Amino acid sequence: MRSSFLGFGARETTLLVACVIAFAVFALWSPYFATSDNLLTILRNSNELLFLSLGMTLLLAMADVDVSVGMTMGLAAISVGYALQGGWQPLAAGLLGPLTGAVLGLVTASVVVLGRIPAIVGTLGLLGVYRAAIFLALGGSWLSGIPDGLTKVLDARPLGIPIAIIVVLIVYGCVWVVLRRTPFGPHLLAIGNSEERARLSGVAVKRTRFATFVVNGILCGIAASFYIATYRNVATTIGGSLALEAIAATALGGTSLTGGRCSLLGTAIGVLLLRLLQNGLLLMGVPSLWQTVVTGGLLLGVLALEVLSGRISLERFNIFARVAP
Amino acid sequence: MTFFASLAKQPPAVPILVGLWIVVVIGLAILNPNAFSLFTVTTVLQFSTLLALVALGQTMVVLCGGAGIDLSVGGATSLSAVVAVLCVKNGLPGFLVPVICLAIGAMLGAINGVLVTRLRILPLIATLGTFYVYSGLALSLTGGAAQSGVPLWLVPWGRGVVWGIPYPFLTLVIPAYLVAAIVLGSTSWGRWIFALGYNERSARLVGIPVDRVRLIAYTLSGALAGTAALVSLAWLGSGRPNIGNNLELTSLTAAMLGGVNIFGGRGSVAGVLAAVLLLVTFQTALLQLNINSIWQVGMIGALLIAVLLADRFYARGR
Repeated sequence: MRSSFLGFGARETTLLVACVIAFAVFALWSPYFATSDNLLTILRNSNELLFLSLGMTLLLAMADVDVSVGMTMGLAAISVGYALQGGWQPLAAGLLGPLTGAVLGLVTASVVVLGRIPAIVGTLGLLGVYRAAIFLALGGSWLSGIPDGLTKVLDARPLGIPIAIIVVLIVYGCVWVVLRRTPFGPHLLAIGNSEERARLSGVAVKRTRFATFVVNGILCGIAASFYIATYRNVATTIGGSLALEAIAATALGGTSLTGGRCSLLGTAIGVLLLRLLQNGLLLMGVPSLWQTVVTGGLLLGVLALEVLSGRISLERFNIFARVAP
Repeated sequence: MTFFASLAKQPPAVPILVGLWIVVVIGLAILNPNAFSLFTVTTVLQFSTLLALVALGQTMVVLCGGAGIDLSVGGATSLSAVVAVLCVKNGLPGFLVPVICLAIGAMLGAINGVLVTRLRILPLIATLGTFYVYSGLALSLTGGAAQSGVPLWLVPWGRGVVWGIPYPFLTLVIPAYLVAAIVLGSTSWGRWIFALGYNERSARLVGIPVDRVRLIAYTLSGALAGTAALVSLAWLGSGRPNIGNNLELTSLTAAMLGGVNIFGGRGSVAGVLAAVLLLVTFQTALLQLNINSIWQVGMIGALLIAVLLADRFYARGR
């Protein structure tokens, strides 16, 4: 079991090497790829996924999952959009995102933890409910023409660093400190390893799971505020494949999908690799419809490689085994 | 347990389903009395055919336990339909369409099976990955457009009706469910499925080929998705890359509603068929009342959660 949450292990090195190779190939292929303009675009496109994947990392570390994160982000984004249109202060609107996310996280936590429904089935059901809620909130059309108040905030560059990068660093830093310096981190991994053993060792399993689902909702809400600041519109199809991308990035980053192991740095590099590949393939002229194929293939490829290289997880059935009657 | 005994021993879900079904029908009768006709019955059964086939595969996978779940059924249905039409377009003889649909579906299912049983990837993650690969491939191979070119001889079968019952329902769904009920109820394979879903460790210890049974369950689920693809081709006359959309959610809901335990080892196909008919009647009623289809997704999701919560409280009360 990897005890450090931000350690620079073999997986992170492999990922960085993969990033460098992909970068070199794309740079040779397209002269536009390595321009600072395009690299900033990649970073900007990574924002939401960085937050969603952080939440997914925490959930997967304790062998839970949430497939409705894209819809949670969508609903929070709609609340931010309407707030901006209603003339709210940009910062207040930006804070409404995490707030809405927290409320939705409470709903998810109640269904999954208090209702004792397996996370995958419960969040799959919520995915349908949230999608209908998005449709209801949007009234069947796009939410567009959102004022650019929040976008201006995003454009600010204290000390020459884009504000988005600062927020990402702060949020990842906070989560890392909580994982390293409070009992929350060890408890998370203990639950992921074996819920039964964690319970017997005195870990407040229900409370920890409940809290993690709420934190995941808040992270989805932060992602929503960034989404609105970046795109200034909400489509009815918002968040379609984000859950897969978050799971893929987390798996790429070396977090065990059966719980008990997690790496924040790996997740962040995983997100960047994913977005780097998508951007590069688009520049190579591969139609965007292939993106889900590439993401799904990458996820399966990495997992298959991991297994073939001999690291078979013995507790692969954790997600269900722990709530079995 | 004989076949008839297994039919008689209904899960507690079935009476509830029948009750809900009557509520839906009465609700529709009050809100739109014009909807009642033999034609509506045919429509319900026609729409049920796809879901019934896919839900049967989903049921098999879930029954086998080990956190079994097949999220890729919708993608497999779309991809089988699209590939079959593209094959015909590129010169393969039309009479091969049923074979291609089934073979592609079975192959896609077998890929899931190998990922789960040989590579030991969590079924949830493995089939989530293949779901995106399959549905993404179906979209990108066609550019998102429906593909015409289905052989004409298929259409009379796909749209034919006898006594208000569509041919595909009569020739595929009823036999498939009967065979599944017999296999689950009175063959050793059926006992194995329940045994390994109920307690995998014991199943392994008594020598049941756990991995082989699971691999076959996933392959079967894929083959049934391929069959659903064939029905969609014959019925609609074209291969649509989005035909399988939302089938993973709906089929899982049907299985859960039908009394299949999410951890495996408990459930019956009769309950699943009843759940499929209830769901499709519900959807048709919404359609008749001109309610947007996005509501179906929401209500099915809510229904899924409600059923699982009810199951929890039922289990606690016992």
